[in-house]
Amino acid sequence: MLMTGNMAAAWGARLGRADYIPAYPITPQTEIIETIAKWVRLGEMDAKLVQMESEHSMLTAAGAASLAGARVFTATSSQGLLYALEMLYNISGWRAPMMLINVARALAAPITLEPDHNDVLAARDTGFLQFHAETCQEVLDLILLAYRVAEDSSVLLPAIVNLDGFYLSFTREKVTLPSEQDVSTFLPDYNPPNPFRANMPVSKGATVLNGALYSYFKYHMHTSSIRALSVFEEAALQFERIFGRSYSPVEPYMMDDAEFVIVISNSFSTIAKQAVRRLRERGFPAGLLKLRMLRPFPSSLVARYLSARRGVAVFDQNISLGSGGIIYPEVVASLYHRRNRPQLLLPVIGGLGGKQITVEEMEKIFEAIKNEIGAESPDPIFLMRQEELETTKNMVRTAKEVQI
Amino acid sequence: MELQSKYKTLRDVPQIDYLAPGGSLCAGCGGLLAVRLFHKVLGKNVVWVNAAGCMTIMVNYPLVPLKSNWLYTAFASAPAGAQGIRDAFDILIRKGKIPESEDLKVVVLTGDGAAYDIGLQSTSGAIYRNLDFYYLCYDNQAYGNTGFQVSSATPVGSATATTPPVPSEPAGNIQKRKDLFEIWRAHNPPYIATLSSSYTVDFLRKVEKGSTFKGPKLYISLAGCPTGWGYDPRETIREEKLAVETGIWPLKEAVEGKVKHTVVPRALKPVEEYLATQSRYQHLFNPVRRKEVIRSIQEQVNLYWEEASKREDFEIKLVNT
Amino acid sequence: MPLITNYFLALTLDFYILTQPLIVIPDKFLMILMIVRVRFHGRGGQGAKTASRILGTASFVEGMNVQDSPVYGAERRGAPVTAFTRISDSEILERGYVFDPDLLIVMDATLLASPVAKVTDGIRKKGAIFLNAQSANIIGEHYTLPSDVRIASYDLTSSAMEMLGKPIISSASAAAAARLVGLVKESSLEQAIVTELEEIGLSEEMIKKNVMLGRKIFSSLEPLELATEESEKKLRIVPLEMITSNDGLEDIIAVGNSKVAKTGSWRIFKPVVDYEKCTACTVCYAYCPESALILRQDGKPEIDYDNCKGCLICYRECPPKAINIEREVIAF
Repeated sequence: MLMTGNMAAAWGARLGRADYIPAYPITPQTEIIETIAKWVRLGEMDAKLVQMESEHSMLTAAGAASLAGARVFTATSSQGLLYALEMLYNISGWRAPMMLINVARALAAPITLEPDHNDVLAARDTGFLQFHAETCQEVLDLILLAYRVAEDSSVLLPAIVNLDGFYLSFTREKVTLPSEQDVSTFLPDYNPPNPFRANMPVSKGATVLNGALYSYFKYHMHTSSIRALSVFEEAALQFERIFGRSYSPVEPYMMDDAEFVIVISNSFSTIAKQAVRRLRERGFPAGLLKLRMLRPFPSSLVARYLSARRGVAVFDQNISLGSGGIIYPEVVASLYHRRNRPQLLLPVIGGLGGKQITVEEMEKIFEAIKNEIGAESPDPIFLMRQEELETTKNMVRTAKEVQI
Repeated sequence: MELQSKYKTLRDVPQIDYLAPGGSLCAGCGGLLAVRLFHKVLGKNVVWVNAAGCMTIMVNYPLVPLKSNWLYTAFASAPAGAQGIRDAFDILIRKGKIPESEDLKVVVLTGDGAAYDIGLQSTSGAIYRNLDFYYLCYDNQAYGNTGFQVSSATPVGSATATTPPVPSEPAGNIQKRKDLFEIWRAHNPPYIATLSSSYTVDFLRKVEKGSTFKGPKLYISLAGCPTGWGYDPRETIREEKLAVETGIWPLKEAVEGKVKHTVVPRALKPVEEYLATQSRYQHLFNPVRRKEVIRSIQEQVNLYWEEASKREDFEIKLVNT
Repeated sequence: MPLITNYFLALTLDFYILTQPLIVIPDKFLMILMIVRVRFHGRGGQGAKTASRILGTASFVEGMNVQDSPVYGAERRGAPVTAFTRISDSEILERGYVFDPDLLIVMDATLLASPVAKVTDGIRKKGAIFLNAQSANIIGEHYTLPSDVRIASYDLTSSAMEMLGKPIISSASAAAAARLVGLVKESSLEQAIVTELEEIGLSEEMIKKNVMLGRKIFSSLEPLELATEESEKKLRIVPLEMITSNDGLEDIIAVGNSKVAKTGSWRIFKPVVDYEKCTACTVCYAYCPESALILRQDGKPEIDYDNCKGCLICYRECPPKAINIEREVIAF
């Protein structure tokens, strides 16, 4: 079927047999909850959807329902995610393995609608597992995989599946829908430890007032998150057996003999892949490593794939103001102790607020990797095309020129 | 004692506009008309503190229709933004850092999603602190900017994108609208009013009257929404008028808590005349007529006016159900 | 060596055919992988998004790989809207905005003048432009069209008014695109129209009329044997600027500057004042949401046609019926 990323996400909830969907509208996510609302009302999906009064309340309801034993699905974007951020830390601390879809959208101010990853990466320290999708098919598949991993008794952490607003949320492409039966085989019913029950009461989220206790529980969450990597890999094997599609925490593309590599995630990976392909046609040894899992961060896989390459660019579609990209230092840290680490790790920032990126710009990044090798301290690249800057400056002039 | 109003007929609508044309809101937007009329009464020395909603789109860089000040805050906390600006002006003026002539009227601008749902707490806090500000909610009875999902201002019987009518729930939305007017009134602010641009003189007078009070001045304006309600943009005024004439949208005010209806139709028109004109209610008429839903909407309206007429001692002819 | 990426080379081929542009043969698969990018430019309410989806679904029905998407701005009825369909017989390694369309579908020719819509930007050499207009020649007299492209035209709006009673041209535009691209059979187009219009909840009768309309347009045009080439592109990535002035602040000091947006182009019908009948009652002034109407000295209105969006509240509310409406007809 042809479907948008938003529709694929809704199918993830449906095929994943979510019981409960607290919701709150925000662009570009809203279609997901609209679709589920329709299915639930038509009786095509046996679940309860409730529209809440804010994202903060939505996430609170979601986490609490998960603790009560319901499989929970919800979705938000951007400002909504940040408004709910307090609850994300609570939910992971409660060890409630619920599903949160984030349809990436850049953060205000200035307010905008198109994507970058500052929203979802603001949640990187919360304990939520993070899976980032490049295609609409991946959106659906990663939801099923993420449920399976999150609910694993050795993980028990909530998960975010991220898809880019517009580039996936409103883009239709081919998605193969698995059968309900196959999904049931892959994803058993949710069966959490110690749910609230009459015959076996439990208290959750208690105060600790004790640093050692606090550290103990945080360390446990951390190691559970790390464990999610191997749980994912195992689940992915079964996923491939049943559905025929293969997923790993990172996806190598034309990496076999690649000397110059771009590290990237989410929907712009597609454009970067085209650049790789075009460069290969010209005999340039380009390659791409896509990060599919951002939490836990697949450090050892990143190191394994990037070692012995000549130069690597890390493409961050986000910006930690005053520092740079958020993913860049994580890639650097993964490689630091490798003796055969690449000669160059070039930081690139691009696609902020959904700034369009052409395949030629992607090609230019590879050119820059090659040129910068051997440089003392390579200059970070901040993508902005000349004509874009000119248009922007015209707009700034319009905003400042007071007409009398 | 009634204030002598400047506004007696439509010819008294101030002929100065603080909004330029060319904004990116839908053609025929009732919310924008409310903002325009509101601004005319307040004059140019205004700072709008905007919550997320359709009006966020009004200021679309590098273009702005407003000729006054504007700040976009967030969905949940525009009244807190208003508090900050009001307090800053108060302290800076008291300290002599800015002259009083630079002072601004602070106006919160929100849709019903912010006013009834996510921003209610912040509004409650501002009213409680007796903040000297205006609050204009353009109420189009759903989350319009995201594509018309149910809000707690959505009336019973309306279809929305998250409450589509289906055989098991043929009415569309079945949850009753919050009575925001009464929620506000329970906070004891000096002035509250409902508005409709279609009753323009009533609208202008209420803004004028509110201005005489210090403290929170709170307004809910019906905002005919061609896109969300589903009618031709040219019908905005007609739709809003019908809402008043059918008694669905009562025009009233509360001065120091005392409620008075400012427009009382002699005889209510049947609600059906209003409902039938909008796509959001079409499922009540097609393919089968949902008599019971239409009747219950009429009964709610009748009940409202029966009680109001007793309290305020006026006569009104209700519609037989 | 020029690199022609319009047609991805099958990886199994051990030679490149880079100099010979390929011809898209109607109703046939090519031996060599190809991609066609269609960009639709319309106005909110005309059906650009639905058109891109109908073309997408029709091509999908034909077994092609497809990607379709709209650009959502703060789009409102009448505002410029863009949508895309990519069609390929292999994996589509593209996403987002179509910078370099093979085929442009211009659903409203006035958009050619819009500095925002930038309709013809990036069109590929030997690409094609379809104009919703009676005559492409007259359009060419009014607007500069790129050279080295082929032009086709058909008055979709008149056909839509005639057959649907509305100026909505989603099916018509999709039919035009499908026919010009030449990869879609009429039956697949019809199936796609039904699927997509059911999806947005149109009545059975309206869907039938749309199918008829689609059929009419489809049979009125001939496939363009599209064989496009990548245009020369200058790419310069500019270095990060250190901005020391207030130009780095997002403040809009030029308050009230929105007039330059010229939202008058949103209109489908225009209100026209009959000054003989006008009684200067000022009702129209009170009710204009846009402040796009000012009162003259004599109290009668003057409409700011540059900005009036054509909501027609003034026409509807005028007590002496002194405002008439006229369909916006472009001079061609």
